[in-house]
Amino acid sequence: MPEIFVTVFDVFMRTYPGFLEASVVTLELTAIGVILGTVIGLVFALMKISGSKILRGIANVYITVIRGTPLIVQIMFLYFGIVEIYTMSNFWAGAIALGVHNGAYIAEIFRGAIQGIDPGQREASLSLGMNRKQTMQRIVFPQALRRSIPPLGNQFIITLKDSSLVYIIGVAEIFSLANREAAQSYQAFESFLVVALYYLVLVMIFTFLLRLYENKLDVDKA
Amino acid sequence: MIVGKNIHKSFGDLEVLKGVDLHVKPQEVVVLVGVSGSGKSTLLRCFNFLEMINSGEITIDGHTINPKKEDLAKIRAEVGMVFQHFNLFPHKSVLENVIEAPITVKKMKKEEAKKLGMNLLRKVGLEDKADVYPSKLSGGQKQRVAIARSLAMEPKVMLFDEPTSALDPELVGEVLQVMKQLAEEGMTMVVVTHEMKFAKEVADRIIMIDQGTIIESADPKNFFENPQNERTKQFIQLVE
Repeated sequence: MPEIFVTVFDVFMRTYPGFLEASVVTLELTAIGVILGTVIGLVFALMKISGSKILRGIANVYITVIRGTPLIVQIMFLYFGIVEIYTMSNFWAGAIALGVHNGAYIAEIFRGAIQGIDPGQREASLSLGMNRKQTMQRIVFPQALRRSIPPLGNQFIITLKDSSLVYIIGVAEIFSLANREAAQSYQAFESFLVVALYYLVLVMIFTFLLRLYENKLDVDKA
Repeated sequence: MIVGKNIHKSFGDLEVLKGVDLHVKPQEVVVLVGVSGSGKSTLLRCFNFLEMINSGEITIDGHTINPKKEDLAKIRAEVGMVFQHFNLFPHKSVLENVIEAPITVKKMKKEEAKKLGMNLLRKVGLEDKADVYPSKLSGGQKQRVAIARSLAMEPKVMLFDEPTSALDPELVGEVLQVMKQLAEEGMTMVVVTHEMKFAKEVADRIIMIDQGTIIESADPKNFFENPQNERTKQFIQLVE
């Protein structure tokens, strides 16, 4: 067996207890980033399609600023801007940064899906006497949500991978562990190869679960 | 039942309705005809406030509506509308489509609504499709569900916006049959259609709209046999 496989295997065996622990942190960061991002995304999507110029303006500024700046800058900004003022752990600073970042992209996913629903759906609902809120809640949004699921899944995978960036503020997720391992053992190539495999496996599990869910939705609809 | 007075409606610079007066009596079936772009669909949509009129007055069941001050949802609940493209809710089953508004708007109990829904589906001949999703239905079946869905709100008047125009020819009859039955039961109806046979058989009055104004209004016999306006004559020649 070539030497490289042996050393990679050694690194893997030595580090897996640590990586399993750090994987939990990565998944927690991802989960918070996704949930917070979805909530923020929904709020800003509704603001963006609302009749109020002020709300639309606020949503536009938020989306433009977040999409126009790198995530790593947002993480540092939040970390030094907020952790310094309020007591907050590095973990939460990173998780909130991920959520805020995702929110901008998810807002655009929801907005596109809502506006992509045939106007006839809204008209039919209104013509039955349903008000605007009922029409959005019961007719337009459920359909938009179904359409959002593939792009949302994509965004969730990006979040999982982007969570590696919070290593910069010292959160003990898998990338920071790989980084430390590389520095301590001088086996940089092996360490980063191992962490790449962790990400790949996590993303594959994620993709599989998403596909199951999408298929279930398709079955429901038929 | 439904009265429009001096209705004006523009889209940007384009004036689509140029002072239309229309008085539909209770239980009357009025068929609106005209070439495409004449404003007939727009007029229908104004009666349901899916389009807001620029000036004029709309009165429904003796009540003159001020769209700026009133709860339009309440008014729309009393005016049923059937669309050219059905607009069924694809994420809901046939029965759920029918009972959605009674439950959401009228706060009807689910059991009661289901009973009402099944009765209406029986009426349009689709009780066996209650649990099916709209994507599995033919166009004619979809439109019959859409009619049942509208009737579930027990509207005072039904508006039909080219209900058979999107259907394959062999499916038109089943929809017209349901509409004819509704007319016989005394429903007040305003129908935009190109089905002249339906107009002849079912309408109490046929109204010709041309370039945003009413140019002819007569019972079917007079409309077809003795049209007054030159453009009506041309139109009849085209469709006959």
